[in-house]
Amino acid sequence: MCEANVYINRNGKEELLMEKVDRMIPGDENNIFMESIFGERRVIQARIKEMQLVHHRIILEEIKTAAEFQEQEIWLTLDTEHGHFHDGEEIRLNLFNGYNMKVNQDHVFSHPQVSMLQHGQTRECPVQINEGIVEVNLGEEADGLMQVYAHESGDKELYAKIFLEVGHHHHHGVEPVGLPLEIIPSNYQHARMGENYEIQVLKNGLPLAGAKVKSTYAGTSNHDYPHHLVTDEDGKTSLFLTARGNYLFSVADGEIISTFTLTKSF
Amino acid sequence: MCRDMPPLELAIQFHGHICPGLLMGVRASEFAIQHLQLERDRDEELLAVVETNSCGVDAIQSILGCTFGKGNLIFKDYGKAVYTIASRDKGKAIRIAQKFNANRNPLFNRYRELNIKDHLTPEEKTEQENLLGQVFESIMTAPFEDIFEWHEIEFDFPEKAEIRKTLQCSVCGEGVMDARAVTTEPGVVCPTCYIDQGGE
Repeated sequence: MCEANVYINRNGKEELLMEKVDRMIPGDENNIFMESIFGERRVIQARIKEMQLVHHRIILEEIKTAAEFQEQEIWLTLDTEHGHFHDGEEIRLNLFNGYNMKVNQDHVFSHPQVSMLQHGQTRECPVQINEGIVEVNLGEEADGLMQVYAHESGDKELYAKIFLEVGHHHHHGVEPVGLPLEIIPSNYQHARMGENYEIQVLKNGLPLAGAKVKSTYAGTSNHDYPHHLVTDEDGKTSLFLTARGNYLFSVADGEIISTFTLTKSF
Repeated sequence: MCRDMPPLELAIQFHGHICPGLLMGVRASEFAIQHLQLERDRDEELLAVVETNSCGVDAIQSILGCTFGKGNLIFKDYGKAVYTIASRDKGKAIRIAQKFNANRNPLFNRYRELNIKDHLTPEEKTEQENLLGQVFESIMTAPFEDIFEWHEIEFDFPEKAEIRKTLQCSVCGEGVMDARAVTTEPGVVCPTCYIDQGGE
């Protein structure tokens, strides 16, 4: 008797998944294929937590993917390692779908719209969808401080926004781009770790008091958003930045979910 | 903006990761800069005497520029989180000592407990990440007097680091600073070869 029973740990409880398993093959994207001596086959997204070979027990732990989360949102990131672009550099951004900055690679974008606002002028940005990611290329001519924002319609109206800086030392005032639900930084500045960062939530251009804002950062091991904030009477709230990566702020109101990506730069 | 890397980022980049000890060193360094009106050291205008060789010293090196290589970082192996920062130009020195209870609370204790474990479960990794965030905020926002004691002290400034001759070891052939070389009967030897040959 060499086969084992496979159990899965769901929310702290072990459940028998398959009896008398004699083959287990780890696959891509955390998939594990298993086959029992009776010919039953199954693929599950999980990781091996423990193997008790004397007791013929293998315990798996369920892996939640972004697709399993209750909400989907979109967010923009800059395709650069140091948070800003230099003059003459090719300006590239990516638009993702997922949750808590964890990308849902199964999502199929349908007609995402990406636009750019600079000096009061708005223009649509060309996009290309590549393996579940929307790629935005603004070329090499862009200069100064601009806001790029995206919209995708589906079960909910999803919005995303990011600041984009080309060249050095642009410190202009911040103007909302006019989304129905929008997060703006109180003062445009280079956000730094170890400092407070204040944002404001606007609904149809007016401060939204009591809005629940979630915040996360790139690379978090939290399954859900680690920070939960509530806006004050001016629609403002702030977060002390302790992570190295970029932050994402997300706010929902009715059928609208709107995000703002804070790119840290120095 | 590329040249304007904030002190905290400098320290993390130099040290390789964020940890409570490094953040304590960041607070001590920033306080010294503010109190003595310092700029980062270029060529031994500043001097740091550190009484520990733990994480906080990397903040002193990266933020203040008092480094092992320049010879303006003097290490006293006392195992104490105490940093004396002195400015030759100002003729002033400040001794900054971390308070005994600065990092003794349930938050730090739990973080430390997780930090010394060989293996963390995914839940513990998440807990550790969140605890580090809380510890980070508590250190960086604490009133300085709550976590450090400090006072100006009289300080005897040593001479600046001397540039010495390099001699060749008669055994291994490698170069050795003349002040460290040992003259033996067959010739000048470096400390390594001297010890290998039974010297003390």
